Amino acid sequence: MKLTVPLLALVVALLLVASQSLYTVDQRQYAIKFQLGEIIETLPNAGLYAKVPLLQNVKFYDKRVLLLDNPEPDRMTTSEKKPLLVDFFVLWRITDVKQYYISVQGDEEAARRRLSQTVRANLAEEFNKRTVHEAISSERDKIMTTTRQKADADAKTIGVEIVDVRLRRVELPPDVTGPVYARMESERRRVANELRSLGQAESEKIRADADRQRVVILADAYKAAQKTKGDGDAKASAIYAQAYGANPEFYAFYRSLEAYKATFRNKTDVMVLDPSSEFFRYLKSQGGPGAKAPK
Amino acid sequence: MSLNDPQWGKRGSGGPPDLDEIWRNVNRRLNELLGRKGGTTDDGSGGGGGRPTLPLSGVGILVLLVVVVWLASGFYIVDEGRRGVVTRFGKYTETTQPGARWHLPFPIEDKELVDFSQVRTVEVGYRNTPKNKKENEALMLTDDENIIEIQFAVQYNLKSAEAYLFNVRKPDLIVQFIAQTAMGEVVGKAKMDFVLYEGREQIAKSAEKLMQELLDRYQTGVYVQKVTLQSVQPPDKVQAAFDDAVKAGQDRERFRNEGQAYANDVVPRARGNAARLIEEANGYQAEVVQRAEGDASRFKQILVEYTKAPGVTRERLYLDMMQTVVGNSSKVLVDQKAGSNSLLYLPLDKLIQQSASPSGPGGTASDPSAARQSTPPAPEPTVTLDPSRSREALRNRERAGQ
Repeated sequence: MKLTVPLLALVVALLLVASQSLYTVDQRQYAIKFQLGEIIETLPNAGLYAKVPLLQNVKFYDKRVLLLDNPEPDRMTTSEKKPLLVDFFVLWRITDVKQYYISVQGDEEAARRRLSQTVRANLAEEFNKRTVHEAISSERDKIMTTTRQKADADAKTIGVEIVDVRLRRVELPPDVTGPVYARMESERRRVANELRSLGQAESEKIRADADRQRVVILADAYKAAQKTKGDGDAKASAIYAQAYGANPEFYAFYRSLEAYKATFRNKTDVMVLDPSSEFFRYLKSQGGPGAKAPK
Repeated sequence: MSLNDPQWGKRGSGGPPDLDEIWRNVNRRLNELLGRKGGTTDDGSGGGGGRPTLPLSGVGILVLLVVVVWLASGFYIVDEGRRGVVTRFGKYTETTQPGARWHLPFPIEDKELVDFSQVRTVEVGYRNTPKNKKENEALMLTDDENIIEIQFAVQYNLKSAEAYLFNVRKPDLIVQFIAQTAMGEVVGKAKMDFVLYEGREQIAKSAEKLMQELLDRYQTGVYVQKVTLQSVQPPDKVQAAFDDAVKAGQDRERFRNEGQAYANDVVPRARGNAARLIEEANGYQAEVVQRAEGDASRFKQILVEYTKAPGVTRERLYLDMMQTVVGNSSKVLVDQKAGSNSLLYLPLDKLIQQSASPSGPGGTASDPSAARQSTPPAPEPTVTLDPSRSREALRNRERAGQ
């Protein structure tokens, strides 16, 4: 029992010393151990480490990929002297923490400023070499990779790796969008007009085709009809010829009578007759015919 | 405690697997720790815990209690859809699945819980609803140097909790930036019409692919599930012109439909007319042939009788005809011998009017009456003249006499 109090005191003392001399380096961090202001060790790996209390101290730096955002889009000029608003961001990482500490005193803000300037300058240079179309479309990739390579070479001097440079947005400044909108509008108008007249042309074509079909159909039908009628007429003719051929003289007489009947059908037909005609031979005198009949 | 362990292990197959695993885990870690680092303070407390039966004093119990509480502080629960990331002295050791877990207590090991399966969303060009536009994000340049407005959302979750935690600072913000740069690049390589109309699906797919590629390159541990285009449209300033072009497309359709409607009206009608022509012709043919046969038959029949008595028949036929003809028409009888030297005035037009108006049904050649009259009245032997007609005849005769 006598031993417990000193034992406890010893434990507390040990814990105190441990808390001062032991430290952990996080998975996300680098550590630099200083001894009286001088770098004596860099610790790139996470884990538990020891230091001499009071004499040595430790500073931590981020090991992760960091984001450098450009707060305002930059105005850059293309090879055609056209302005573009370029917004980019940089992903970077501290690779050589000792170098990093020496160059920028471990001040992240200072590092950002430095990187930002380098990247912006390189980017502006790349844009300067290219047309708007190339910058937007075909060589966008190339601008980014070239800038990354150039900036990376420079960043090495401060112990930093440029993981990537990405163009977040490339756009036209508001003061030059007017002509673009005007062009877009006129282009749409062209398309609209084209569509409408195409529609009308198609419509006209369909109508004309329909008219043609109508005429052809009717003509075909007329032809067929005439043929049928002709057939009928021919047959009828044959029948008549066959029948009337038996006695042509009587046919002429008979047919004439029929024709007369058909001709004088209406009251409006006025006949001016001579009573001396054959028909009225009995009208004048009942004896007449006896005398005339033999004639 | 260590004595109890094997018993736990034996019963393990029947009991709840989680606890069993945890106990084994506790054991393993303690051994691992004690084996590696013999000189730390934990050695003493571990030794005290190891043989609790010998000094059962008050202090011993207190120490034991403290140790038990300390060990218990290492328990934690990983909810479904999360992952626990365990670090030992700051160094990553393992990622744990959902369930009850244990790690070595505070100063040694630590854990962080990460939402793993939860779907996170990044919105570009709008916030919350597409109506709430962010124009400076939404406007993008296309390959043909046109400006379009594009709003899209990216849904993502994690594929590696430790990468998400350790490799990148502000990973969610980076995802948003990557979304913008990827979409900008994809749209910049496409023509406006493609982005606006037929290529939407493809644009989203390409952006998704590029995003994943970039995120993998930076080892963010993020998995892009889907890029969804909320709206792709021309900027407000030119919207009207685009709408008009769309309308023009519909107009074109309408014109075509109108043409088709006309065709559909005209052609079938022409077919109908054609059918009518042909049917009429067929009818005509039938009529002509039938009539011819009828006429021929009639003629032949009369001819038979005629050949039997030609003179009488001929006379009869002639008189029948004359009766019909003279009976059916207005007539003026003029004796040429009597009036040969005087000029005869015949008001023919008046005669025609007179004869036409009073006897409406007979005179005006309306179809039914004409048909009635045309049906050969020849076989009727006598035709009695109606009174009006006889009066007319009288009047005519009087006039003729004057």
